[in-house]
Amino acid sequence: MPAGRSSLASLQRSVLDNGLRVIVAPDRSSPLVGVAVIYDVGFRSEPEGRTGFAHLFEHLMFQGSANVSKIEHVQLVQSAGGQVNGHTMPDLTAYYEALPAGELELALWLEADRMGSLALTEENLRNQVAVVEEEIKVNVLNRPYGGFPWIPLPALAFTTYPNAHNGYGDFAHLEDATLEDAAEFRAQYYAPTNAVLVVCGDCDPDEVLAAADRHFGGIAGGPVPPHGPYPEPRPSAELRGAIEDRLAPQAAFAVGYRSPDPVNQLEEYAAYAALASVLSDGDASRLRRRLVYEDRSVTDVGCILGTFGMDTFYMRDPVLFQIVVFHPGVATTDELQDVIDNELERLAGDGPSPEELARVAAGLAASHWRSVDPVLERTLSLASVATIHGRAELVAELPDLLAAVEPAAIAAAAVDLLNQHRALLELVPGGET
Amino acid sequence: MSRPAPGRLRLPKAPAVLEEELAGGLRAIAVRRRAVPLVEVRLVFAMAAENITKAAGPTVLAESVLAGTDRRNRRELAEAVERLGGRLGASHGEDRFVLAASVLAGNLDKLLEILAEVLHGASYPRAEVSADRERLANETLIALSQPEVIADEALRRRLYPGHPYAAGIPRPSALRKVGAGNLRALHRGLLNPRAGRLVLVGDIDTRRAIGRASDILAPWLASAQRVDVRLPPPAGARPGPISLVARPGSVQSNIRLGRSAPSRSDPDWPAAALANLVFGGLFASRLVENLRERHGYTYSPGSAIRHGRAASSLVVEADVATLATAAALVETRYELGRMAVTGVSDGEFDSARRYAVGTFSFLTATQSGLADTLATLSLAGVGPGYLTSYPAAVARTTKAEVEAAARHYFAPATLLTVIVGDADDVAGPLSAIDGVTVSSS
Repeated sequence: MPAGRSSLASLQRSVLDNGLRVIVAPDRSSPLVGVAVIYDVGFRSEPEGRTGFAHLFEHLMFQGSANVSKIEHVQLVQSAGGQVNGHTMPDLTAYYEALPAGELELALWLEADRMGSLALTEENLRNQVAVVEEEIKVNVLNRPYGGFPWIPLPALAFTTYPNAHNGYGDFAHLEDATLEDAAEFRAQYYAPTNAVLVVCGDCDPDEVLAAADRHFGGIAGGPVPPHGPYPEPRPSAELRGAIEDRLAPQAAFAVGYRSPDPVNQLEEYAAYAALASVLSDGDASRLRRRLVYEDRSVTDVGCILGTFGMDTFYMRDPVLFQIVVFHPGVATTDELQDVIDNELERLAGDGPSPEELARVAAGLAASHWRSVDPVLERTLSLASVATIHGRAELVAELPDLLAAVEPAAIAAAAVDLLNQHRALLELVPGGET
Repeated sequence: MSRPAPGRLRLPKAPAVLEEELAGGLRAIAVRRRAVPLVEVRLVFAMAAENITKAAGPTVLAESVLAGTDRRNRRELAEAVERLGGRLGASHGEDRFVLAASVLAGNLDKLLEILAEVLHGASYPRAEVSADRERLANETLIALSQPEVIADEALRRRLYPGHPYAAGIPRPSALRKVGAGNLRALHRGLLNPRAGRLVLVGDIDTRRAIGRASDILAPWLASAQRVDVRLPPPAGARPGPISLVARPGSVQSNIRLGRSAPSRSDPDWPAAALANLVFGGLFASRLVENLRERHGYTYSPGSAIRHGRAASSLVVEADVATLATAAALVETRYELGRMAVTGVSDGEFDSARRYAVGTFSFLTATQSGLADTLATLSLAGVGPGYLTSYPAAVARTTKAEVEAAARHYFAPATLLTVIVGDADDVAGPLSAIDGVTVSSS
């Protein structure tokens, strides 16, 4: 069996006395090792009046700790021939390194140092607020379609703060953030009790488990904080909204539907993932074929189950099933939505053909293998799924789970979308055409 | 716990690369990698100068080459690829055209059969082509509204005056003129075995895979024709005044500085690569430490040396707050000046060397990464031996050589400057630093 496949199948695990869960996935297919520490907190858990704080805090985790100065974390990893970064999602915050196998100990030491202590100064906090604001300008304010639809669609589709607010944050909230906020957030969410450590790649599992205990064992356990799901009732009427984008040259719209609970109704949820693929993966998919190649009314169409696209299995309830359309305005939004409904009705009636479904299953399996080939992606998949689902094994099971989806389950998912009150957000272009 | 000591510098092992020249002059390269049950396939072609200058043809061709063959329409073609757990796409870069595919390992032969069908029998149906070029024209409008694209185009015009590389993204009007007949002719010239490389990386028997490729692609290989894909070297760029491209209402300015840099086969390359890491190629580098971590002007500043077939360039970039534009340029030029006149520290030198050697393994650790790297190297005329000779050369490079490269390539007087931003806000402050010429985007 190829190394990558075996590494996902043979996981070793332990729980330290302070509650830190440790998972090791040995795989000697390349002389590299990935390390991920994921804390069970994302932007859905940040306090009201502090939008963007979970992401800001991720930046602060790179500002130094008891034995590591500002920038030094990154400097040490890069000097070891490694890569390092972090990211904040709705339900988790990830910190990770990928290094030559011989440098594993360094990454463990660095992650333990900032889990056990954080050295924050007012100056560094202000500096990172400024950096985050520039990040938001690059990715949202200064570009066409910036933040579309991941910021405005949840704001339309949901009513409760955790689900509806902007995870990048309002500038006013970011600027109001204090060192006390950071200390409180850290105390609540950044204890080993609320984290999982995954090591994947060229390593010896027994040595890794011993090293994890050596580096992290001395950190005091903490509370198990509240976390999602953040369920809220489905809308009782269609929700419509519009935003203006003065930089955009072309119209767009996004439709948000509710999906089943991704954790407690995993099999049903998998059918929605397969439906997304049937609708928009590849040139033979139903919506691409119809809207892009037959009607020629649309420039691009895509379906996302999740927030950003690659996070389908990294979220708790509620998750939006999104259809995102970019079009030159030859057809109206309502006309295009009618075509989408028509395609959903065809699926609701007949389901996909067995041949079509086999094709989609083969595509999903191949995509899965491609996505876990890089050691860092494999490490992050294991850690993300362990955080949300409590079972890292799920990463290895996903291809079979998706392949087992029956045509009837996809038809049922299409029926559910058609019967829902959707959220429909239009983007009105203001740029030159 | 005390800080773990760094491990010794370990050079990567050479992968077992099988390389053969097939009929028609197509060079085939294969490597066995078994981490996941897939094969990555790349068929890359060097583009001739006229196809780079007039890129509208190659751009539409990339969209329409999979629009149908003498045997199947677009949908049937897509379904056939998907049944194999496959993906097949076409694109072009600055100076090359790429057919990239990936497939479940057991289905490689069937994927090669589809590739052969496309290469030998792409039919460019008129209705498909006209829809494709219209859609591309719309997508181009979106691309041209991105500030980083505007900045890249402005930088190209300054770096490569009169050279094909100055051309940039084809405009909607040019795309709309490309017809099906043009594409059939272009297909024969562009997708020519003699200008191509076939790369196979994955869970395969390399000798068998190349043999099968040679058999399955035979009708297309037989169509090879003479071709001249040599590119002229660019004329030297002059630093001159700052080119300010006005983008009214911008909340940031996109600052780009650039100049020529050594190619992969230039003896200066390893030292210049290390100097770049010290300057801005790493997160823990002078530029990032200054602009981001000290001043908070920008989110992701950096520098890189980019290699094309005809030229390599050093590019420094920072997307900064509008009000900080002039200050950020002052700091950037200050850091360049410091590189050029004050040398690098032992710590910086050691970090850069270890990073360059250590992370080189990442480039080649995945099937797709290795396939892309081998294809790129081969088109650049660099053999797979580079996978071990480059890290070894980096490990041998001395601090004095890095400082010499820093003096030569990072001297601020030798870099030209392009900025995209709100001219009303930034032209005044910038004119205190340097001459400024303003144009509209």
